[in-house]
Amino acid sequence: MLPYLVTIAIMIGIYGLLTLGLNLQYGYTGLINFGHVAFFAIGAYTSALISLAGYPIALGMAAGTVLAFLAAYPLGLLCLRLRADYLAIVTLSFSEIIRTVLISEEWLTEGTQGLPGIPKPFSSLSQGNADLAYLALVATAMLVAILLMWRLSHSPFGRLIRAVRDDEDAVRAVGKDPAQLKIKTLMLGAALAGLAGAFYAHYVGYISPDQFLPLVTFYAWIALIMGGAGTITGAIVGSSLLLFILEGSRFLRDVVPFVSEVQMASLRLAVIGLGLVLFMLYRPQGLIPDRSQS
Amino acid sequence: MTVHFRSTTLLGGIALAASLIAAPAIGQEAYRIGALNPVTGAGNTYGSGMQKSIIAAAAEVNAAGGAAGRKLEVLAEDGQTSAEPAVLAAKKLIEVNKVNAILGTWSSSVSLAIQPMTLASNIILMHTSSAPTLFTQNQRNLDWGFQSGSKYNGRAMAAAVKKEGFTKPAIMSFNNDAAINNVGFFRKAWEAAGGKIVAALTYEPKRTSYRSELQKVLAAKPDVIALSGYLPDTTIILREAYELGATAKFIIPDWAAGPALLKALGPDVSQGVLVYGTVPNIAGAAFKTYSAAYKKALNTSGEENVFGAQAYDMVISLALAIEKAGASADNVAIAKEIRAVSNPDGEKVTSFAEGKAALKAGKKINYEGASGPLDFDEDGNAVADFALFTYDKGQYVKRYLLQ
Repeated sequence: MLPYLVTIAIMIGIYGLLTLGLNLQYGYTGLINFGHVAFFAIGAYTSALISLAGYPIALGMAAGTVLAFLAAYPLGLLCLRLRADYLAIVTLSFSEIIRTVLISEEWLTEGTQGLPGIPKPFSSLSQGNADLAYLALVATAMLVAILLMWRLSHSPFGRLIRAVRDDEDAVRAVGKDPAQLKIKTLMLGAALAGLAGAFYAHYVGYISPDQFLPLVTFYAWIALIMGGAGTITGAIVGSSLLLFILEGSRFLRDVVPFVSEVQMASLRLAVIGLGLVLFMLYRPQGLIPDRSQS
Repeated sequence: MTVHFRSTTLLGGIALAASLIAAPAIGQEAYRIGALNPVTGAGNTYGSGMQKSIIAAAAEVNAAGGAAGRKLEVLAEDGQTSAEPAVLAAKKLIEVNKVNAILGTWSSSVSLAIQPMTLASNIILMHTSSAPTLFTQNQRNLDWGFQSGSKYNGRAMAAAVKKEGFTKPAIMSFNNDAAINNVGFFRKAWEAAGGKIVAALTYEPKRTSYRSELQKVLAAKPDVIALSGYLPDTTIILREAYELGATAKFIIPDWAAGPALLKALGPDVSQGVLVYGTVPNIAGAAFKTYSAAYKKALNTSGEENVFGAQAYDMVISLALAIEKAGASADNVAIAKEIRAVSNPDGEKVTSFAEGKAALKAGKKINYEGASGPLDFDEDGNAVADFALFTYDKGQYVKRYLLQ
């Protein structure tokens, strides 16, 4: 049981980092980013390719984070001209473009074959201990991200980006440039997604383009909305809740009578959907609401 | 709700809830099988049938007294035809349910993602995937592929093209691992025999028209086009080739053909399209047992789901290997016997009960499965019999076996 829980905890950490990035963009700044998975994919592929080439895993992870950070810059420039819903479409397309590139550039990414055998850190330990060490690593990264996020949200920059979310014209009126702020948050959020991607690649050990569908973006959105947008705790609670619903539903089999194994698979997905709908109906502000907004 | 409600609390909650329900009374000697099948997602046409076939085969083994006295217990999960959920499902099967084997992973991406976990835990993995890496990472022979891999598809295609007397084949392939490898091995086999490919093209999924791709290939004036794709794109390409008045014939794999293609195209367009595919031993006793069980569980014919037959065979081969290795054998010892109970040098058996009796009598056995003769090559990949089919005046007919 423990190793399974450790795995879930690692996935919570990975989705937590992803959601924290989205929280910065949407929760604080109001950017509707439907292409978050693009940065997750960039982080995963960069780190996997670098470590498969024989360089240290730490270097791969750092490079994955930095590359995701930089990849958000051109997208950010584009965003300057776009308001909410248009931005959503552009970012969604961006993530699909990235996935198509991953499929097509076979010389680099092996195309649809994907990259098997990505090295795992702590491989000298036994499997159980290696997973525990990995969890510690993910948890540390998460803690650092939370601390940074907390500092950021209480700094003048944090107040400014919230102001951009609430009233862009007012920000402009006091002589600040919303465009620069938007680019910065987009890049910072992308860096977190890139780091999450790197953690994902080295944990799962095999990546292929079909693991980076827009579904991942929407998982992060679900986590953010369930937890409560605009708060750090909300992002973490949300990703825990998401994994709890996704994985906890596997144990339904043991408590629901008169359902065959095959029907159970479909029932499980239905329960997940129903859970989300009920959540939205009765707790639309998320578990941890943003107190700065009334 | 307060901010004190943190992820640790939730985790604790999961742990508590899960430990309460995940401690079923398991007999000490049961052999636990995780059925990790694509019940939802892209593989859903096959997944339910695979899972039910595994359950049915395990029931058959248990009815015959179990394997070496060990009952088989099946724990089912849905892999969702997707790597990440499959990894978590496999983790649950391995760590919570403590399964000894995972059977029936279908797509290569799922099998590749869970292979490192099964290898690290000494768990037997039986799959229907064809990615070459799966077989090169299988150093301890714990993994077995029940679907003939790309190598055999490519060779079968080359044999058919040669036998039909074509000299100028072109290649068109759907852009994914399996399809690209199929035509890749076709090219290898064809060129090794001194032939030449006049044109090759990879096309993208989910287009509404492939006219420009077709025109590019047809410009090289091939006499046959080896088309490796799936039902939707194959339908479009064949119809457009007909509209363009192309004289080249097509050869396609059976998973993109069958009655559904005929229904979509009609007798005129489908006339003369060649289809290659593996043939289950329909006349064999194992297939009849499987087919009856399939019909009972799903109310459709087992012939429609070749992966169901393969999943059924996985359980029977595994049970026979356990029987041969003995009740106290570990997985490495059991896996070693898989080849020994199914390769050609033994007495032919077609069911678990028959094989068990022969093993008890001290004989060598050769399990002839529902999906094929189940003779494994040096990589642990089953080599099936291939045949060539065609459409003639609106009928799907078998032409001959391919060697």
